[in-house]
Amino acid sequence: MELSDANLQTLTEYLKKTLDPDPAIRRPAEKFLESVEGSQNYPLLLLTLLEKSQENVIKVCASVTFKNYIKRNWRIVGILVEDEPNKICESDRIAIKANIVPLMLSSPEQIQKQLSDAISIIGREDFPQKWPDLLTEMVNRFQSGDFHVINGVLRTAHSLFKRYRHEFKSNELWTEIKLVLDAFALPLTNLFKATIELCSTHANDASALKVLFSSLILIAKLFYSLNFQDLPEFFEDNMETWMTNFHSLLTLDNKLLQTDDEEEAGLLELLKSQICDNAALYAQKYDEEFQPYLPRFVTAIWNLLVTTGQEVKYDLLVSNAIQFLASVCERPHYKHLFEDQNTLTSICEKVIVPNMEFRAADEEAFEDNSEEYIRRDLEGSDIDTRRRAACDLVRGLCKFFEGPVTGIFSGYVNSMLQEYAKNPSVNWKHKDAAIYLVTSLASKAQTQKHGITQANELVNLTEFFVNHIQPDLKSATVNEFPVLKADGIKYIMIFRNQVPKEQLLVSIPLLINHLQAESIVVHTYAAHALERLFTMRGTNNTTLITAAEMAPFVEVLLTNLFKALTLPGSSENEYIMKAIMRSFSLLQESIIPYIPSVITQLTQKLLAVSKNPSKPHFNHYMFESICLSIRITCKANPEAVGSFEEALFLVFTEILQNDVQEFIPYVFQVMSLLLEMHKNEIPSSYMALFPHLLQPVLWERTGNIPPLVRLLQAYLERGASTIASAAADKIPGLLGVFQKLIASKANDHQGFYLLNSIIEHMPPESVDQYRKQIFILLFQRLQNSKTTKFIKSFLVFINLYCIRYGALALQEIFDSIQPKMFGMVLEKIIIPEIQKVSGQVEKKICAVGITKILTECPPMMDTEYTKLWIPLLQALIGLFELPEDDTIPDEEHFIDIEDTPGYQTAFSQLAFAGKKEHDPVGQMVNNPRIHLAQSLHKLSTACPGRVLSMLSTSLNAEALQYLQGYLQAASVSLL
Amino acid sequence: RMRKFKNKGKDAAALRMQRVEMSVMLRKAKKDEQILKRRNVSLPVKDENVPPGQNGTHEIIQLSLEEIVEGINGNNPKLQLLATQATRKMLSRQKDPPITQIIQLGIIPRMVEFLGRAGNAALQFEAAWVLTNVASGTSEHARAVVDGGAIPALISLLSSPHMHISEQAVWALGNLAGDGPLYRDVLINHDVIPPLLALVSPVTPVGFLRNITWTLSNLCRNKNPYPPLDAVHKILPVLICLIQHEDKEIITDCCWALCYLTDSSNDRIQIVVDMGVLPRLVELLASMNVMVMTPALRATGNVVTGTDQQTQAAIDAGVLAVLPRLLRHSRPGIQKEAAWMLSNIAAGSSQQIQQLITCGLLPPLVELLDKGDFKAQKEGVWVVANITTGGTVDQVVELVRSGVLKPLLNLLSAKDSKTILIILDTISNLFLAAEKLGQTEKLCLLLEELNGVEKIEDLQNHENNIVYRAALNIIEKYFSGE
Repeated sequence: MELSDANLQTLTEYLKKTLDPDPAIRRPAEKFLESVEGSQNYPLLLLTLLEKSQENVIKVCASVTFKNYIKRNWRIVGILVEDEPNKICESDRIAIKANIVPLMLSSPEQIQKQLSDAISIIGREDFPQKWPDLLTEMVNRFQSGDFHVINGVLRTAHSLFKRYRHEFKSNELWTEIKLVLDAFALPLTNLFKATIELCSTHANDASALKVLFSSLILIAKLFYSLNFQDLPEFFEDNMETWMTNFHSLLTLDNKLLQTDDEEEAGLLELLKSQICDNAALYAQKYDEEFQPYLPRFVTAIWNLLVTTGQEVKYDLLVSNAIQFLASVCERPHYKHLFEDQNTLTSICEKVIVPNMEFRAADEEAFEDNSEEYIRRDLEGSDIDTRRRAACDLVRGLCKFFEGPVTGIFSGYVNSMLQEYAKNPSVNWKHKDAAIYLVTSLASKAQTQKHGITQANELVNLTEFFVNHIQPDLKSATVNEFPVLKADGIKYIMIFRNQVPKEQLLVSIPLLINHLQAESIVVHTYAAHALERLFTMRGTNNTTLITAAEMAPFVEVLLTNLFKALTLPGSSENEYIMKAIMRSFSLLQESIIPYIPSVITQLTQKLLAVSKNPSKPHFNHYMFESICLSIRITCKANPEAVGSFEEALFLVFTEILQNDVQEFIPYVFQVMSLLLEMHKNEIPSSYMALFPHLLQPVLWERTGNIPPLVRLLQAYLERGASTIASAAADKIPGLLGVFQKLIASKANDHQGFYLLNSIIEHMPPESVDQYRKQIFILLFQRLQNSKTTKFIKSFLVFINLYCIRYGALALQEIFDSIQPKMFGMVLEKIIIPEIQKVSGQVEKKICAVGITKILTECPPMMDTEYTKLWIPLLQALIGLFELPEDDTIPDEEHFIDIEDTPGYQTAFSQLAFAGKKEHDPVGQMVNNPRIHLAQSLHKLSTACPGRVLSMLSTSLNAEALQYLQGYLQAASVSLL
Repeated sequence: RMRKFKNKGKDAAALRMQRVEMSVMLRKAKKDEQILKRRNVSLPVKDENVPPGQNGTHEIIQLSLEEIVEGINGNNPKLQLLATQATRKMLSRQKDPPITQIIQLGIIPRMVEFLGRAGNAALQFEAAWVLTNVASGTSEHARAVVDGGAIPALISLLSSPHMHISEQAVWALGNLAGDGPLYRDVLINHDVIPPLLALVSPVTPVGFLRNITWTLSNLCRNKNPYPPLDAVHKILPVLICLIQHEDKEIITDCCWALCYLTDSSNDRIQIVVDMGVLPRLVELLASMNVMVMTPALRATGNVVTGTDQQTQAAIDAGVLAVLPRLLRHSRPGIQKEAAWMLSNIAAGSSQQIQQLITCGLLPPLVELLDKGDFKAQKEGVWVVANITTGGTVDQVVELVRSGVLKPLLNLLSAKDSKTILIILDTISNLFLAAEKLGQTEKLCLLLEELNGVEKIEDLQNHENNIVYRAALNIIEKYFSGE
């Protein structure tokens, strides 16, 4: 693409279309941009547009497109180049790097942010080596005095350096940090001082202050990143400057910076939060050096806490401030700062308790934004909440002051409960606070059982449960005091391991009852609590609560669970769906009477959500529940599979026709499960679908590959002979799939799964004509890119082949490709690599295959291959006795191997659609060591003396010893 | 490949983490390290070596740089001495000695020449002093001394009949040796060692012995390359004698020398172990003197990075008995080194892990993890990790019983990705042991009760991908309830 006005115009039009709400216009435009992004000058055109376009919306759109383009394409993925060619040519790269910093700095903020992100993505790859002047270019701008520019630089620096906060230390990383420190630390410090001075000269200028404080926040963030890995010499030498200024900023207030907004944190709050973080970092990691400054910070932060209000905008600040105190109070040498009884009481009263109270904002979230409330409260994603921080502070204080702290809080719990008792409808929040304290602070450790010495007994958990929790849940009105109901249910969840089983059993009908509560939080918690209780383990690894104990409640449980899905706001509630799945799994055959109604409701749900799948967890559990229904029913009555097919196929067809991408992999898995339920010949309905499964378009989506392979395996297992007789013309298509999969480093193991099923199940004559071609394809791949994963799968395949077709056939097919090829495979692949094979079934296949090569392949005894006989035997004994060789060459570490290869399809997204472990040699060979001994015995009977003489002259002594063990165990001896 | 039959499954060397001193440092050079170079700033108490007849012993006339050059380059021995003295005085002042300027005067070769004036002891002494202080500067400065040809001259002064002169020569040579491996080896190739060692005798004054020990330690110092083996073999026996001395400074410098010699490959560690010095090092570890303790601890720590046998030698010397006190030491640096040493012992055989447990190291370890300095806690985490990797199931059970989990889980909120990852790996190891005992559920429960699950769940939001995956893996495997 040339840098021409015409191209700019074209690009503008397409960018505009990508903003169109109509997918029919939007999608083609996106596709077009994707198709041209490999062209030279494309990124430069985007940069031109975002700088010069007349329309602001195009500028912004170009900047976002540019950032995403950089994100996708800048990184050159070393060894995966074959899959992803480098889309950005070198001259474009150079031009981008030369122009982007000034462009970013002169852009308005909205665009500046995108470009700044792009710079940090580029920096991640190119900085420092391939972008040496970036730092100087940035630092020079500090002199500009223009804080719009300075903030741009600081923001970029922050996105470049923030990775120092989480990366592992390494010489490479530290070299970079050192370089950054050398160039950046002093200018940053000077800028920090200058900015603070400007703050006091402009103390009455609100707009100037805002810009300056934004700078200070970024500077404080940079301080955190640069100091994270270790305390740099520069900052140790300049600690006085930084800490004195940080300290005074903590105590600073300026009316002009206060905001009216209750929710959004203002600049002052953000800055102080970051300073608390910085102080906490130093206190935790550089205690020795920071000690002289620490007491001042404790006092300042303490004052900050006592004077800061309850508004949401202060949450981050308050939680960071509390976290700082929490990390300091558990240090032995700061104990004295806290130990005074008055201090402790005042921390509890003024810092902890107020921050544990249920605030108006919480109440609002409970009612109107339940999803968010649940996420924070239940899933512990409340890391930054005040409540969480307050709990951490209590735990910290308990390290040295457990007695006094427990005393203060027990008293507090009691007085709160008394307040509640006086007038429940007015004072229910007091009880909430009391329950919150107990659920967060009571020790969950069971003292006698595990021998942990823990004495923090705020209350007796069972007594509290019986006296204060159950009464709320037993109340006839499920919709009264929803917050307290939610508290009570949460109590059961949290202490389910501490409360005795009989109390849990009493709770189950109460929980089932609360599935009907109108409050989303309450019925969600009830479902979640049931789900958790059903997963608890009792003795003998069975579930704690048995199906028999649940018998009286089956109907009401199922009814209420499905009814809960009809309550407003919960139509796709993942907790309820998960509880349904878990109930099925626990109740097993007792759900069978309800299956007709259940499956109707599930298919209706499926149909409804397939219009617009939006809750992945909900969907996942829904499919799991469907699988469970099928399994449980068909286990008792295999004939029932037909009725499931009848109920489901209609919806499945619709999903496939409408190409609902999220659901297709699930559909394939459920179909595999159904197909495997058939004991006899494969039904014609499946055969009709077979050709469609081989269509290349389906295989282009990576998410489809594992379940499709699994489905084809099911076809082969159940209907190999039908395919051979009725669909022989589809065999090349099947092998085409194999060929496609084998060519990719990411999917080659899937190709082997398929190939192995073909070898195992297809009648030999039906694949005869393709066999040689298969081997040739495998060799080509071996030559082009030999990876450990490929080798492992290859080894399993050739041994399976050997078992199925015989060792002689294996030797012949290799040698027919090229003379002496068999010997090369033995010497260069099997013998040196066999130790890498993993998985029990896989190892067994290899052991039996190699045994056959050793004992049933005449050329091994009477050609030049004989010299490999002993090394092969030794490798086999190694496979039996040595630890697995799981080393991977360095250059392979970046291959995506999330699916570890094995004979089985490792993909089991649906747990309850999972395949049984399949052992193709199970029938034939039970113990491969004994099998080796017996086979050797047979061989030695056929040619007496030869085996023994080979063994005694060249087998390694240790290996020989093992071998003798096998012979003994098999009670045979060699002749 | 059959050799693998012996050490089934485990490669001890991989477990043991030698102090791979990161070659890049962000921190200030450590304050407790031994000094590389020293300048002679204190005036000798009595300058009795100045020949009588001059204007009193303590009066040294101040001269301008021009006068100095003139005096030194002139032929008048008196003026030569005065000018050299004036130079020495300038270089001995407390602040900002003008080393570079003095070098630029071009008088270094002349100083070297003065070293050879056997008939003029005072001049020899003053010149040696000047060179000592020039060499105490940067590498650039040291190079001026070496290029001026000082090395052979200084070495021959070691055998001077005047003790104060040979002492000054020792000092100057020490500074050159401390400059780096290059001059260290030049000195060794000039055979500095025999005359240097000859100075050590029962009657050598303590002050002189200190200087000699320090110079010897500099000859042992530095890697890339290490000092030649035969030099080590010559120096070691003398160090072993000197370490028995009662003077703290002498002992300290001996320990530093042993530190350098053991911060090396296993065969070099073996040379030190073979000298039988470990019991003495352990004895010094028990001393209350931080100055002595620091290098003794480092040297012993280096030894246990070696083979299992070398580690065992340290254990046999009684190191486990002194470790509890070191782990509880008030100095963070000492805590850290002690924990580091313990982590290497824990990387040994399961018998060694057993000894560690039997000698009562678990309680101080738990204390350290709970309340120690962060640097030490990090090392403590490695101890736990190594026990769970190399220990028997019983030993792992013992470890859990000691209460290690609570502080360990607390450290999941540490601001250090590596530490978090090791803890997560340790938890996985614990689960492997629990599986063998059929107590997976129990361990799940324990982690939950100690608020560990909550912390691991939080780590699923960690920015570091590897940490996030490790956390996710544990949650999915043991806590997902599927």
